[in-house]
Amino acid sequence: MSEETNYRTEVTPIWCPGCGNFALLIALTRRVLPNLGIPGHQALIVSGIGCSSRIPAYVDSYGFNSLHGRAVVIAQGAKLANPELTVVAIGGDGDFFSIGAGHLPHAVRRNVNITCIMVNNFVYALTKGQTSPTSPYLQRGEGPFLSRQFYPPVDPVLDMVSYSVSTRASLIAQGIATDVSNLAWLIEEAVKHRGFSFVNVLTPCVTFDPPWLFKTIKERASYLNEGEPVGLPDSSAEQPWLHDSSNITLALKLAQTPVMEKPHIGMIFRGKEL
Amino acid sequence: MPRYYGPQIRGGASGVKLSLDTTRASVPADTADIMVCFNWEKYAELEQELPLGADSVVFYDSASSKGSISLPEKSFQVRFSEIGEELTGTTLAKNIVALGLLERILALPEGLSKGAAVQDEASALLERNGLALSAGKHLLPEFPFAELKLSSPRDASAKAVLHGNSAVAQGAIRAGCRTFFGYPITPASEIMEEMQERLGQGNGVFIQAEDEIAAVGLALGASLTGAKSMTATTGPGLDLMTEMMGLASGAEIPVVIVDVQRCGPATGIPSKSEQSDLNHVIYGGHGDAPRVVIAAYSLEGCYRLVIESFSISEYYQAPVVLLSDQWLGQTTVATSSDFLTKDYSVAQRKRPGGEYQEPYRRYEITEDSISPMASAGDEGFMYQATGLAHNEKGRPSFDFATHQRMHEKRWQKLAPLRDRDELVKVFGREESRKGIVAFGSSAQFVLETVEYLGLQDEVKVCIPELIHPLPRRLTSFVDSLERLLVVEMSYSAQLHHYLRSQIDLPSDTESYARAGGLPFSRKELSGPITKLAR
Repeated sequence: MSEETNYRTEVTPIWCPGCGNFALLIALTRRVLPNLGIPGHQALIVSGIGCSSRIPAYVDSYGFNSLHGRAVVIAQGAKLANPELTVVAIGGDGDFFSIGAGHLPHAVRRNVNITCIMVNNFVYALTKGQTSPTSPYLQRGEGPFLSRQFYPPVDPVLDMVSYSVSTRASLIAQGIATDVSNLAWLIEEAVKHRGFSFVNVLTPCVTFDPPWLFKTIKERASYLNEGEPVGLPDSSAEQPWLHDSSNITLALKLAQTPVMEKPHIGMIFRGKEL
Repeated sequence: MPRYYGPQIRGGASGVKLSLDTTRASVPADTADIMVCFNWEKYAELEQELPLGADSVVFYDSASSKGSISLPEKSFQVRFSEIGEELTGTTLAKNIVALGLLERILALPEGLSKGAAVQDEASALLERNGLALSAGKHLLPEFPFAELKLSSPRDASAKAVLHGNSAVAQGAIRAGCRTFFGYPITPASEIMEEMQERLGQGNGVFIQAEDEIAAVGLALGASLTGAKSMTATTGPGLDLMTEMMGLASGAEIPVVIVDVQRCGPATGIPSKSEQSDLNHVIYGGHGDAPRVVIAAYSLEGCYRLVIESFSISEYYQAPVVLLSDQWLGQTTVATSSDFLTKDYSVAQRKRPGGEYQEPYRRYEITEDSISPMASAGDEGFMYQATGLAHNEKGRPSFDFATHQRMHEKRWQKLAPLRDRDELVKVFGREESRKGIVAFGSSAQFVLETVEYLGLQDEVKVCIPELIHPLPRRLTSFVDSLERLLVVEMSYSAQLHHYLRSQIDLPSDTESYARAGGLPFSRKELSGPITKLAR
């Protein structure tokens, strides 16, 4: 595809075959940038450290593979100094929800017009399988969850979507790496949205997550369609409501659904633009 | 006018030492000629920094809590509070009464305070307390000594009144800095506050960040787009910025970091000077990450050297740390304004374009090791920067020969700085074989003490403003000596050890180094300097 050659560098990704990061790379280089007509030189991708943070080297735009957890601050600095740029911060769950978690609420309240894409693979993969803040938590006695771990995660999961809703990011979306079209659409909307956008991408780690983790997410996933009933977990006694992405209270209810029970794919919240 | 204050939030012990010298802006005398004290308990907290001499004249409000403080002969209790209360209904006017008395004692021209009152808002207070002021003036006849007269001013040129932190902020604006990111920290906050004032209302970009990591990260992001960016902090903030400093060095991104040093380690003494960040700014961080370290020793230097820091940072694409300290940063000086208006050359970033042919290589090895740097947004020069080891194109590369070559490039590009002779100040006779090396505000005290001792002909003084990379002029100064004295305010003698690591010091080398907090004085430095001259 000619669009891809326009936006891909010659560098071969280091990712494992089947990695969800390829979906993001395809979404960016074949859909988002060409669809929005953004020339490479007018885009800046800033990343942190981790598997997904290798992405700047693969996209033919301006890029900066920076420090663990700091992509979102560098991205804001660039956008403030050159508002003409389309600035995207990309990192993993370790970046945005562990080492760099302190930056996120401030990025939200500062509401600089950038897009923050968190590639959530539920694990520290580049360092070979350690627990991340989003690693699913099981009660004591339920046994190790992740394939390479002798010890299960001991602390409850930090839920990124719930967090971004509660701090009221200007736009909040959740995509899934197995649906590139939908993911690309969400990122396009996020980039077009004038304000701080947070896109969480549910991504399997084909190497360090147990295969059934992502199988479960996929099976239980439910797409959000404007004006249509939302999916709720089987355990929920609540009557499904009609999805309205402009309603922060409903977004909070969606966000409070545990991701392992009912992952909502789509536009969770879209607030007023700058 | 240095400021003395402690850890109080409001009130508490605070003092200023106002030095009136019409011929120069210099360090105040060791002991006060005149002291006004409103509270002896609080004076006791500052006594080490504000000692009295046998000739000092003391006016005090109340003798209570004087404790064991021994007063000089010319000490007078004056009813400042009472008079203030009688005339204005509040004892708060006591300082205005004292001001009135001082005006008369110093024989300041009539109407000086009145003139000031119309000029600025703070002085308008004087007008509202006119009764208290005039009552103070009439106190003079009660005291048994003739009026002390100041010599008439010799220099009538325009005066600038500012402290080092303000000079840094003004210098940054002069250098073209329009993007500033900071986080409040004593004693550097005034830089941030002034940048906020100057860059607010759409004149630039100012953000008070969530922490110092974000502050320097925002600055690097802005710099990627071609903006001259700066942040300012002190020790603890610098600790947090260290990882970003390494990134700026490795990815070759210009940024200026101002470090207004205070006592460490950890929280240390936030409101007092020390020179103990030297190791950190030269060596701090993992890996071999070259950076430039510059140190101001004067108010004028704070202004000139922040402009120089931008020039070096932009031209060499490297992080530059400008060292200041609490003394320099917070001492207000009235001085000639010439340095604010004179011309300064400002070097720019080398950019691709012109004869430059594609494909663009961001980290191209050039003759001077400086690669043209495109700004994010420039058409035709896209590149991907990275903190990973990379090749000339900026691609991640773990080829060891490339890694070695990139190290060479980053270090060698800074080598020409070593010949910047003008960034090393030398005072005294060239033939002298006895010399002192000092930097930062300590150097002011060294110069003063040498003059006070009348040893200008025997002892020469070298003050490096460029600290790292080591300037050749500093090496040749040391090489010319038989006896060397290194003076610094660092317990572990960081400057001495740095010099030792770089230069063959004379076998007759002494280090005078101690922890900070208490400023140096002529009296204290007379010992080691007299010994050097002997």
